[in-house]
Amino acid sequence: MATRLEPTTSNDTGRRARGSATFNSTIGEYDYSNFFYSSSEDVFGIFPQFGDWYYGHAKNSGYYLFGQPMSTPPTPYISLEEQLGHEQVKLLNLASYNYLGLSYHPEVVAAAHAALDKYGLGAAGSPLLSGMMEIHDELEHELAKFKGADTAIVFPTGYSTNVGLISALMRPGDWIIMDQNSHASIVDGAILAKSNARFFRHNRADDLDRKLRDTSGRKLVVVEGVYSMDGDVAHLPEIVEVAKKHGARILIDEAHSGFVYGANGRGVAEHFNLEKEVDLFVGTFSKALGGMGGYVTGSEDLYIYLKGFARSRVFSCALSPVVAAGVLQALKIVQREPQLRARLWNNVAYMRKLLAAGGVDVGESTSHVIPVMIRNDRRVFAIAHELQRAGLYLQPIIYPAVAKHRSRFRISISSTYTTEQMDRAAEILIGVLRAEGVLSSEDAA
Amino acid sequence: MSGTNEFVEYRFRHSIAGFFEFPTANALQLLPPHLQPIEPHHGQSVLSVMAFDFNGSMVGEYGELIMSVLVAPRLEKDQPLPRSAFYPVLLGTTTTASREHAIERWHLPHFMDDIDLKWTPGEHEIEVAASHKGAKILDLRITDYDWENVNHRYQSFMTDASGSYMATIIMEAQFSENEEERGQVTFGNHEFTKMIDRDSVNTTPFRELWMRDGLQTFHPLQQIAGPTK
Repeated sequence: MATRLEPTTSNDTGRRARGSATFNSTIGEYDYSNFFYSSSEDVFGIFPQFGDWYYGHAKNSGYYLFGQPMSTPPTPYISLEEQLGHEQVKLLNLASYNYLGLSYHPEVVAAAHAALDKYGLGAAGSPLLSGMMEIHDELEHELAKFKGADTAIVFPTGYSTNVGLISALMRPGDWIIMDQNSHASIVDGAILAKSNARFFRHNRADDLDRKLRDTSGRKLVVVEGVYSMDGDVAHLPEIVEVAKKHGARILIDEAHSGFVYGANGRGVAEHFNLEKEVDLFVGTFSKALGGMGGYVTGSEDLYIYLKGFARSRVFSCALSPVVAAGVLQALKIVQREPQLRARLWNNVAYMRKLLAAGGVDVGESTSHVIPVMIRNDRRVFAIAHELQRAGLYLQPIIYPAVAKHRSRFRISISSTYTTEQMDRAAEILIGVLRAEGVLSSEDAA
Repeated sequence: MSGTNEFVEYRFRHSIAGFFEFPTANALQLLPPHLQPIEPHHGQSVLSVMAFDFNGSMVGEYGELIMSVLVAPRLEKDQPLPRSAFYPVLLGTTTTASREHAIERWHLPHFMDDIDLKWTPGEHEIEVAASHKGAKILDLRITDYDWENVNHRYQSFMTDASGSYMATIIMEAQFSENEEERGQVTFGNHEFTKMIDRDSVNTTPFRELWMRDGLQTFHPLQQIAGPTK
């Protein structure tokens, strides 16, 4: 294994300074979690030590791979500015959420252009006051129709959707029982609600039952359709059964599964034929629809209550009309062209076959989100660096985003990939994993 | 205090720990006001159940069981951050000499009778059974992952009637750590653990730590606050 790929420079102390990759053991001593809690007399007291770690060790050891600015749409091939040499590189992209390729679809772009001409850039107001435009209204109606719900209410981001919904409905003394792998927006919603919060072991209905056993009063169970780090699907039938037994309401966040799962693309609840059993549906526009924003679907009563009490929506500017128009067009395409989902699932099957043939460990994934398990926190950055040098864009994911020794890369499959692109991606990936000793030729099926 | 400027070394065969989630409401009952519990999940703090098999110290060979709460580390100018920080809420030792030593020198709170620790080391897992006069205190099982040689820095906080203290502790050993959720703790109904709400502790550790053939070095004790008025 290469421990140092290029000569080290010692002057990389500035944000834009050039540097070179140095994969050494120091990175293993600290991570982001070490710098969250500390006691000192100054609010800024942690900055010197954090800065020393970040610029002295972390950045050149691999953190530079996060947030590299792209100069293209999130198409199968992208260009981005590599963060050490600040050079443009062209990469085969398996990292974007753009599951149906809609972020750059010509009709979506045209709709956004038209909305820009009609409305200008921003909504210039809270949706509760002056920020609501015809395009928002149209989007909410189209979405409600698609989901088979009475209403849909749009939020400016997916994050603000869970935060606003949960904190609007739940109060101190209530119980929120979440899957331990819940997204930060769910956790932060529970924190803001000041309710009693518990976490059940991932996808374990038996542990949910244990966590609900001594609760009383108002209860909310929260799960996700597809979990974003492991790509596994909620065990919804068992979870619904337990939640109902304890009289708990059920919220499903279909951020990664909406517009992708189910016969009509309505999500994992549709996939399991449990839409009538689930009480609250959350989703985002930033994954399969390629835009941004989030939504809740439900009853008219829920709509008017959230309109008044979802503080993350009330006290934010409304979603840009430009984005709303693009998302609306994307939603129409999803309904008009079910073949996009069919193509996605064909691509998922094809890529899974390639990875299995190469002996790649994909963990528990059964979805279009496919982790490539490295299980070596010290080496994942060096492997990511080699992948990028070989022309493949994948984001490394390490502790504390995932458990220790569960480091990985996350593949997001898109319906837009050609078989040639997936062949090439798998060839690069398996080649690098073999060169780095993660795979051997014996691993191949 | 005499001898507090010395570095004190303790050699050990095994040091094992499980980190368990338990309610922050319980953690706050155990902590002095100046310490903040670390929360891996909202509303959940970390209970550390740790055991040592010491084979070389100024008070001879002995075993030690420590129940701690993980807390925010204290920033020290020009010093590296510790890997983590602990507030031991109760220790039990297998010998009177080791207990008196730790109380006098380190101001650590102790269960005031000898306990028994029975170790069962295996190739990839290790168990310790802690008991007192035949009554079970707890059983702890920890598993291994990859091993590496480490030099880790920790902080330990202590509070008694004479004031509040902090000690930096360096651990040099072969080290294995994982979050595979294969370990376990089972509690007996013993007064040693009565300060924790045992039913609310997640009995599967979210992190398992194992050190072998190591050296624990206590840096001189620092007093960080005077006696409580």
